[in-house]
Amino acid sequence: MFRTKNLFISLCILCASVENISAQEQPPAPSAPKSVKIPGVTEKKLPNGLTAAVIERKGVPLVTIQLLVKSGASAEDASKAGLADITASMLTKGTKTRSATEIAEAIEFLGGSIGSGAGWNSSFVSVTVTSDKVSQALAIMSDVVLNPKFDQKELDLLKSQTLDGLTFSLKQPSSLANYVASKYSFGEHPAGGTPDSVAKLGRDDIVAFYNANFLPDNAVLVFTGDITPELSTSMTQKAFGVWKGNFGESISEKSAKPPKERESRGILVIDLPKSGQASVTYAKSLTAVGRKNGSYYAAQVLNSILGGGYSSRLNYEIRIKRGLSYGAGSSFAWRGAKSNFATRIQTKTVSAAEVLELVLAEIKKLSDNSVASDELVPRKSVLTGNFGRNLETTGGLAGAVGDLYAFGIPTAELNAYVSNVNGVTESQIKDFAAHNLMGGDIIIVGDYSDFKDDLAKRFPNMKVDVIKAADLDLSKDNLRK
Amino acid sequence: MKELTAILIVAIAAISAIAQVKVAPLDIKERTLPNGLKVVSLRDNSSPTVAIHVWYNVGGKNDPQGKSGFAHMFEHMMFKSTKNMPNEKMDRLTEDVGGFNNASTWDDFTNYYEVVPSNYLETLLWAEAERMANLNVDDANFASERDVVKEEYRQSVLAQPYGQFNEYIGSLTYTTHPYKRGVIGNLDQLNAAKSADARAFHSLYYRPDNAYLIVVGDFDQAQFDAWTDKYLGKVAKPTTAIPRVTEVEPAKTKEVRFAKTAPNVPFPAVAISYLGPRSDSPDMPALRIANTILSGGESSRLYQSLVYKQQIAQEASFNLDNKVDGGLLYLMAIASEGKHAPELEKGLLAELKLIQGKGVTAKELEKAKNQLIANAVRAREDNDRKAVAIERAIAYQHDPKAVNTDIQRLQAVTAVDVLRVMKKYFNDNNRVVIYYTAEGGAK
Repeated sequence: MFRTKNLFISLCILCASVENISAQEQPPAPSAPKSVKIPGVTEKKLPNGLTAAVIERKGVPLVTIQLLVKSGASAEDASKAGLADITASMLTKGTKTRSATEIAEAIEFLGGSIGSGAGWNSSFVSVTVTSDKVSQALAIMSDVVLNPKFDQKELDLLKSQTLDGLTFSLKQPSSLANYVASKYSFGEHPAGGTPDSVAKLGRDDIVAFYNANFLPDNAVLVFTGDITPELSTSMTQKAFGVWKGNFGESISEKSAKPPKERESRGILVIDLPKSGQASVTYAKSLTAVGRKNGSYYAAQVLNSILGGGYSSRLNYEIRIKRGLSYGAGSSFAWRGAKSNFATRIQTKTVSAAEVLELVLAEIKKLSDNSVASDELVPRKSVLTGNFGRNLETTGGLAGAVGDLYAFGIPTAELNAYVSNVNGVTESQIKDFAAHNLMGGDIIIVGDYSDFKDDLAKRFPNMKVDVIKAADLDLSKDNLRK
Repeated sequence: MKELTAILIVAIAAISAIAQVKVAPLDIKERTLPNGLKVVSLRDNSSPTVAIHVWYNVGGKNDPQGKSGFAHMFEHMMFKSTKNMPNEKMDRLTEDVGGFNNASTWDDFTNYYEVVPSNYLETLLWAEAERMANLNVDDANFASERDVVKEEYRQSVLAQPYGQFNEYIGSLTYTTHPYKRGVIGNLDQLNAAKSADARAFHSLYYRPDNAYLIVVGDFDQAQFDAWTDKYLGKVAKPTTAIPRVTEVEPAKTKEVRFAKTAPNVPFPAVAISYLGPRSDSPDMPALRIANTILSGGESSRLYQSLVYKQQIAQEASFNLDNKVDGGLLYLMAIASEGKHAPELEKGLLAELKLIQGKGVTAKELEKAKNQLIANAVRAREDNDRKAVAIERAIAYQHDPKAVNTDIQRLQAVTAVDVLRVMKKYFNDNNRVVIYYTAEGGAK
């Protein structure tokens, strides 16, 4: 991938560690690293305001086409949680001239599949086909984006499928914890909706959301793979040239109400009887650190050290050293002006309190002590290596470019990723942890009877608030029915 | 096998005149080292990375008696120390330099793989030879990895609403073949495993004459061959015989039904399971086409019937669980809100009867082929995926070159073939029906 000089540094670390074990045979040293070309983005704005972006890569006869609309769940009211996702999902469920079945039939006949949905920041419609099928796929794609029917019967089915999906997710410890954290810790609502909000969504809501957001100047059509910029631009004009409407200036993202500054809220337990495992979540809303500000890269490197990848500290302490989990990690979910940090760990129910102790200790350690360079350098390589590998597939490339457009970040940042990661210093990470990571919430989902006593023993001064899973209401501020 | 392939290619050339995008054959090189290690390499310098896979012909079916789950647990030990590498050294050589590593245990095989910047190829060939020849298994590592595997079991089986259901499909359909134990095994039997068992398992199965090295990516062929000889060529070939599974699963002669429950099951589920052919059976391509017609996407028959029109299921599929000694063919559905297992069973069987009675249309056949060809193209998108495709050809066709004839085999399938295999493997007296519902009867 993107080999830069940091590789030489990590190489020397490797030699040092080998020297310590003198009786052993040494692994052969690597040869000189090679550099990689980062693909360039060709961008063109159509007269109707739609941006067409293409990254051409030959070799494999595949093309991913992704339409990105720069409005997602953040543009919906909390009382209508799930509206953006349902709206995007409804696009493929029928147009003025094609039924839902005909759409699936047509795209699958091309050997592709069409997907649509919404996350917090954006909505998308995406298809991957072999490069001989691009114009046929694009015709279907423009039909679903431009002429959706929003048929009531299709909506009823989609809603019941979504509700079934929610019932399923809310039975699974770490997924249930995510839903709880979005409301309890992040002051947001779940982008996938809640049972209550989804049940209430009507056709009018969907039509209104579509009309307000699915507009050419609020969208980008990204092509990646075996296609030229010329061809993709002319195809875009043909398929999407008739798209009309004006979104205008994008409103700054609906500010999720930042959780009030507060004393530690103790431990929230969602009691899920016979849960198989418990999920241990440390959740922190970072109201001043967003994708668009300078601390993004420090946050990424910090996370790589703490909970990103196999050899991160959480996984080392919890899995590798103690065998308490199959995998322990953490991540940031990015918004333009803020971010949500959370750990994701499942452990046997009786170990929940022990795992929580380890998590809290690791977070505190990051803000108390500097990271040594023999840890920092490899953790940066993890990030830059993953980044490069992700760009090797047309889908990964389209996703990475789409993300930048969703936040209004110039695509040139793709080329700056490696140097930005490598520029993060030890002191930035320590400062970041001290200023942003402390004082988060603790959420444990699992069979409370299995860890109640141990939790009280290990955390005698912490208040424990228990909600039975059956009494949980994700639409209510106090989370209770 | 090769002669047959040649004939097929001629036949296909005629059929696919309406051509499709070309799936270029992978230009693989094969050789066998004196110690029995088979080496497959494919050079692709488009990105300065290399995928290294070591495939061992040992899997869950080779678990020692009374220790089900052992082969998988052993896989975890391969990341611990060797004579010349401390614990987790593999991570230092891969993850720390921007690559990754992993391994997976299947019923029939176990694979270890890493993708690294290509200047690390020699280092990793050394490391793979090291863990093939010089693995250490100590009690402390063994105990802690056993705990990790138990958490893996809890996470993938117990904490997942349909985790136990998935395990039941295999454990209740097989009666005799070790496939019935499942790869993950069970927690009690894992407790019985000792570090000495791991050392014995390594010397029985982890040997050059029971393995393939597959390398895809950026390398120089002569240099690669020399490194392979230098490091992997030095691993000794044991003189002991490699134990193989000999149990034969008997054909079924009457329907068997089970009703299973588990906590936190949100909706009832049904599986209707049948014994399938060996992975290298000439019936497999037609079964794959049938699989795609029945459950490949939202235009597929099962989605259209059970999920879309009748709205009794939120998910309905026909699954082809490929295994070397004979896989499983099973229909499966999860109910939508307020629907019950008997409705699902009826709906699934009606679709089975329909395809057995009327076969498939020319358009369905063409669509299925288009879908499978596009999948094959996607499966060649990067070095690691190509290595996986080669690995599967080795595992299931016993020939890495089969990766290049896969599409021809699919293209040759006719509607008559599909009808024939659907009649051959499915009848009213050879199925296992499993109902899976919430414990205590609550929804």
